[in-house]
Amino acid sequence: MHRFAVTHKLRIGGGIVVALLFLLPVFWMVLTSFKFQRDIFTTPPTVFFTPTLENYSNYLQRSSIPYQMLNTAIVAFGSGLISIFTGAMAGYALARLRIRGAGLLGVLILMSRGVPPIALAVPMFLVGRSLGLIDKHIFLILAYCTFLIPYVMWLMRSFFIALPKELEESAMIDGCSRFGAFFKIIVPISLPGLLSTLIFCVILAWEELLFAIVLTNRVASTVPVAIANIAGDTVNGANWGALTAVGTMTVIPVVIFALLVQKWLIQGLADGATKG
Amino acid sequence: MSNVKTEHRPARRFQSETLLDLVSRWAFMVPAGLILVAMLAYPILYTLEISFALIDLSTFQVTEWVGWENYEFVLSDSRFWASLKVTAVYLALSLPLQMVLGFGIAYLINVEWKGRGFIRALFLIPMVVAPVVAGGVWRMMLDPLYGLTNYLLSFVGLGPYDWLGDSWLAMLTIVIIDTWRWTPFIVLIATASILSLSRDIFEAADIDGANWWTKLWSISIPLLLPMIVATFIVRWLGAVKMFDIALAATGGGPGAATQVINLYIYEEAFRSLHFAESAAMAMIVLVGTMMLTGVFLRGSRKLEDLY
Amino acid sequence: MEQLKTAMGLLSRRKTMLLGAAALAMQGLAGSHVAAQESGGGLGTADSPVQLRIIADAAYGNAWQQVMVPKFNEKYPHIKVTIDPVPYTELLAKAMLDATASTPTYDILVLDDPWTPQVAQTGALVDLRKETAQWTNEGYDWDDFNAAPLAATQWKGVQYGVPMRSNMLLMFVNKTLYKKAGLPVPTPDLTWKEYLEQAPKLVQDTNGDGVVDAWAIGTYFKRDPLTPTIWQSILNSEGGRLLDNAGKPAFNDEIGVKALETHVELLKYAPPGAISHGYSEALAAFRQGQVATSFMWGSVYRNSAVDPKTTTLTPEQVGLQVLPVGAKMGGSNRGIASGTIHAKSKKKEAAWAFLQWFSSKEGELYHVNNLGGFPARKSTLATKPNADNEWMTPVFAALQQGFDVIEAGEMWRVRHPKSDAVQQALADAVASAISGQASAKAALDDAARRAERALR
Repeated sequence: MHRFAVTHKLRIGGGIVVALLFLLPVFWMVLTSFKFQRDIFTTPPTVFFTPTLENYSNYLQRSSIPYQMLNTAIVAFGSGLISIFTGAMAGYALARLRIRGAGLLGVLILMSRGVPPIALAVPMFLVGRSLGLIDKHIFLILAYCTFLIPYVMWLMRSFFIALPKELEESAMIDGCSRFGAFFKIIVPISLPGLLSTLIFCVILAWEELLFAIVLTNRVASTVPVAIANIAGDTVNGANWGALTAVGTMTVIPVVIFALLVQKWLIQGLADGATKG
Repeated sequence: MSNVKTEHRPARRFQSETLLDLVSRWAFMVPAGLILVAMLAYPILYTLEISFALIDLSTFQVTEWVGWENYEFVLSDSRFWASLKVTAVYLALSLPLQMVLGFGIAYLINVEWKGRGFIRALFLIPMVVAPVVAGGVWRMMLDPLYGLTNYLLSFVGLGPYDWLGDSWLAMLTIVIIDTWRWTPFIVLIATASILSLSRDIFEAADIDGANWWTKLWSISIPLLLPMIVATFIVRWLGAVKMFDIALAATGGGPGAATQVINLYIYEEAFRSLHFAESAAMAMIVLVGTMMLTGVFLRGSRKLEDLY
Repeated sequence: MEQLKTAMGLLSRRKTMLLGAAALAMQGLAGSHVAAQESGGGLGTADSPVQLRIIADAAYGNAWQQVMVPKFNEKYPHIKVTIDPVPYTELLAKAMLDATASTPTYDILVLDDPWTPQVAQTGALVDLRKETAQWTNEGYDWDDFNAAPLAATQWKGVQYGVPMRSNMLLMFVNKTLYKKAGLPVPTPDLTWKEYLEQAPKLVQDTNGDGVVDAWAIGTYFKRDPLTPTIWQSILNSEGGRLLDNAGKPAFNDEIGVKALETHVELLKYAPPGAISHGYSEALAAFRQGQVATSFMWGSVYRNSAVDPKTTTLTPEQVGLQVLPVGAKMGGSNRGIASGTIHAKSKKKEAAWAFLQWFSSKEGELYHVNNLGGFPARKSTLATKPNADNEWMTPVFAALQQGFDVIEAGEMWRVRHPKSDAVQQALADAVASAISGQASAKAALDDAARRAERALR
């Protein structure tokens, strides 16, 4: 028991150290966001300086960034939810439903991810242009679904394969339809996998730049576009104070979302344990 | 006569039931399939089409069929091959590193204590930072003139290193940044899959007096194998397409030392407006990726059979 | 049978009606189209204002929306202007994609220096001297523009745009570091020979702690489409050219190779890590007072010499002039953002009103005094900026010098529908020579082959 406690503490300590190492660049980003530009590129690097909130206030007050933040949230959660819904169903079909030809279809869907996104962006723009969907949220959401669904499908397939088969068999004997068995039995028990995959989807859509630039102009424009706009300043040079401030602001909502989901996830697991 | 009828009836009912069942099974694939076909069919066909053609930039449509000419040009382009080599080196270094680190960290932080959820959420941050900002912050830290890294290393008597200016170090820098960014993804999925492992098996093993190595090697890894494979496949398909970090951190330089294939395709299409050539490259990359993914899937099935 | 006949009759009648309606609609459409073209969509009224959409580089697009558009609206209150900002690196591709639509979103495309031929080739741009001449104000003085910036949007004898924001490659000088090294502060007569002789002395230890902390040069060395502009300005000042009269690559001759070797040599006098430095990093080093000179775009002057939030230097410390003189003249490179009008725009009159106002003497002065934007007109360059912008007086002098050498030495990037492809080939060549992966000669020969294929 004593030895167990020691390794337990060692693992906690180790985890914290590794996390801090991973967070070092993030720390530097946050620190830079409070600097005047003058203090950013000094030799040696400055840790103590007169902090300023200007980088935040400038971009929150004067620019389109709050609006673009809202767009980013709409697009990221919209595409995340659609993808998790459709992708998990497809993953379940691949894992359990033994449909002839579906395996091949699944592999094909997966392999569609092999097409370089740059090649897809232009024809997708042409499609959107002829349908009048350029600069519409829904088009960007659907575009993101094309790269999220294959990932969700494949990850969820593996989660479902690991579940014991008796689960839905007993449910179906009890008179559940396939859909009932899936949504009432399989989905709740796969919650850790589903939520982690959802987090992954939201993050991928949250930071996507290429499609956002090509498929939107103004109305549906997202934060990564705003960031690219600041970074590519051809007149004054990139304002790294502003960039790191916007970077920090984009991180916060996702971290909060992840924390909330974790709480829900652990609670869900506990409920599942008592039920089982 | 009546005999035959009664024989047929149950069979027919069975048939219609299986048909209904087949439909309901396929219904699980339909929503995903519809979205993908609607959004991807034209773009992929268009890419295939223009890879065999000259296109008119005033309409973005085909003006002339040129057969394999674009492919011949791409295949005889030393830059294309060089960028494939760069991509291969980058993948060979970063994928194994990220898999081992990811599952290792997931295992490490999967101990029960209050701060666990918080640590896990913190681990997501590198993934969320926009690539342009991430690449820039890393540049800022690694620059030999004003960077933090060399400054800190100088206290222990190391360096100075030209992280972005030396060909090999620049490649290493890309691998480090990519690993920093994407290991959290593997941690995320790995944690979820470790969480979904049934506890009963481990309790049984504890009763049998198995040590942690036996538990890891003969219980955890076999059970996690499908997940490990799926994570690897998803990461591999993501990594093949990486170009944002290379663009933000090194711009493909020094020389062409970190010009990964997707950066080259991006430059050909968006800077040089050589859409047909870049489509040909995209098709070659697609076929290569499909073949390698097939190899990985087959290999993984063999592995799964092994256990 | 009867029934069938009636049915047929009905059908055919319906058919003719449909056809007739379609024809009418088409006529109406065509008619209104012609009418719209003749009227240019007008300048709007209080009840139905004209909506103008503009696509522009985010670096100035946002500021224009906030500062220039309200001023424009004082004069033209019924033209609502919306500027969509796009990052520079994706602007050309995005403008091309939109410009080729049957109903394009944008009425005005703000294009960078080498892009006019690429967009004009698709037939998307209006000839501003002919097609919009009927709406040109009498006082609009074409001849007042410097020839160099106006030439940015000329192609095959047609004027497609007007300069909205001038920029050019200039040499920034940190006079303090020159004095510390005991060297005379450079003048526009400084030659490359002198510059390279002085460079080793500018790598110095300024605070006496035995560690070198100041270098001679900060500029583009990294793999970047703008890095070749440094090499090109050396090439041009030595009398070399990118293309010969037949439009074939001529840059891989002896002058070109020597110019590239000079660019590579600069690395010796640059700060550690400079091989991966481009716009941002070179700028940071100059603003921190770590490099004595910087070959940089003139637009950064304000943030490098005036604004204490962004720079450690003051206007007294910072000199600005053309790049050193070669066998022929000083060097520079042109970067003009120009406004062009889409050929399919239904609001040409309003679009031209905006561009005229923006590039008029009045617009340029307002741009100078409120956003520090560089003008293209001789008369604007000859005026004194207002009291808040006194620092601009030496900048204006340097700009006029720059325009003069640019015009004399054809110091601009390749002008051709494939100019960006050529620029990318040059970027690869310069990058591989600087990183030592190829000799200057081999790198330029390779670039010439690629450029020749692109220009075919």
